[in-house]
Amino acid sequence: MFEIISNWVAAFLTLCIFSFLYKDNPFYKFAEYLFVGVTAGYTIPLTWEQAFIPYVYRPLFLQHNFILIIPAIIGIFYIFTFSRKLNWLSRYPIAFGMGTVGMGVPLSMHASVLVQMHGAMIPIENINTLLVFIGTVTILLYFYFSKAHTGTYGKVVKIGIWYMMIGFGASFGYTVMARISLLIGRIQFLVADVLHIIK
Amino acid sequence: MNIFERLQKLDRRWIFLVVAIAIILPLIFPFNSKTYTTEPTEKLYRLIDSYAPGPNEKPVEKDRAVLLCFTHDASTMPELFPMEIAILRHCFERKIKVFTITFIASAAPIMDYAINTVKEEFPEVKSGENYVNFGFKLGALQLPIILGMGEDIAEAVDIDAEGRKVSSLPIMKNIKNYNEMNLVMDFSGSSAGGAWITYARSKYGANVGVGVTAVMAADEYPYIQTGQITGMLAGLKGAAEYEKLVDVFAANPDPNKKEFSRELLKDPKWDNAITDKGIAYKFKQARIGMNAQSVAHIMIIVFILIGNIGYFITKYKQKQQQ
Repeated sequence: MFEIISNWVAAFLTLCIFSFLYKDNPFYKFAEYLFVGVTAGYTIPLTWEQAFIPYVYRPLFLQHNFILIIPAIIGIFYIFTFSRKLNWLSRYPIAFGMGTVGMGVPLSMHASVLVQMHGAMIPIENINTLLVFIGTVTILLYFYFSKAHTGTYGKVVKIGIWYMMIGFGASFGYTVMARISLLIGRIQFLVADVLHIIK
Repeated sequence: MNIFERLQKLDRRWIFLVVAIAIILPLIFPFNSKTYTTEPTEKLYRLIDSYAPGPNEKPVEKDRAVLLCFTHDASTMPELFPMEIAILRHCFERKIKVFTITFIASAAPIMDYAINTVKEEFPEVKSGENYVNFGFKLGALQLPIILGMGEDIAEAVDIDAEGRKVSSLPIMKNIKNYNEMNLVMDFSGSSAGGAWITYARSKYGANVGVGVTAVMAADEYPYIQTGQITGMLAGLKGAAEYEKLVDVFAANPDPNKKEFSRELLKDPKWDNAITDKGIAYKFKQARIGMNAQSVAHIMIIVFILIGNIGYFITKYKQKQQQ
């Protein structure tokens, strides 16, 4: 029974969202605001249960691990972002956050730059590696702006533009596929789970 | 005003209607079509399948496991959920140890839903022995957990979604860190898999696979080329490919045909899955969806062609009038 009711509620909200395709209307707005509210409402108790209870309440009040008062207080500083007088305090927890980002810099350099560069510096053994070589060099030349894109240099750079256009085309094709997939998913839900036309 | 000029001024809502019909009809009247598998999907399948216990080996003793990380909410479910179902089915069918985790609150119910959907067909599969749901962990803990798993998974995760100590679970036998839980599969509609590449792969050498929405697929190919991503499922197409591989090998009733073989894959009988009543709808959802996808793509191509022809004819006529 619960599944039937929940499916019909979901079907109603799906149609509310689809109604925007005709024009903006109160049903669409209702579904949109409800989604935002439900997501926030769901996250708050989950964070309370998964963060505050195991990482603050239990160790501090039950296990008397008082050293945790320091990070807890620093965390509370976030709230001062709403105070004009004391909002400078909210920068301290942000500073700690930035520290952890810094920790990832060497590993990010390795994964996103060095290994990728190494991957581009392979011997030209076949047509694919030749295409990778031409594409990498001409695109890098395109982004070198200290020389005007004219003459022979401009022609070489144009090859880079073609490469990028093909890349954008592939991305756009995938994007169309993704958007259609979302519509397929919702229609599958309506015809299979709600109307039971397909099983 | 000729037909092309009229089409140029057509209300876009008519196009929405035609696309909707093009999608609804193939879903209501399913038909069989070929699903070709691509290398990134096959590589992923073969790696996961290599973690299956041997015929004389107890699944709980196996020293290999897969971690599935759900990094998405309901908005990308149509593309990612069929992938998750297909991989979980593969793992449950072949008794491969599987862990699930999420760092997004709204992904926690999706994770439960995916596990329960597949588990219905595998009553012998037990939580704590064949799989463990680590549950939702705070986003702020993502980095410490990813790094911590490189040393000791049970210590990094501590408790699972059911509140049990991970170290006390039978599934953890012979599983310590990324040396054993050797593949991390991240499902997302973004480049979230990058965190696993940066920390789990660069530092500990874990294999990383991604299941991404089609929008993100083009961004991931450079990482496949350099081998930093072992395999990828790209959008609904990737899910359909994986569904087929599971049907052909893992779910093959002949125990001698469970191993990947290109010859078996070529057999045309595997392309009749959509109308095969023996295969549950949930295990062929992506392939049915791909039929609708193909029809919609043809419609879009036709619209683009008509639109362009109309544009050039109108332009030509305007030029002549001048």
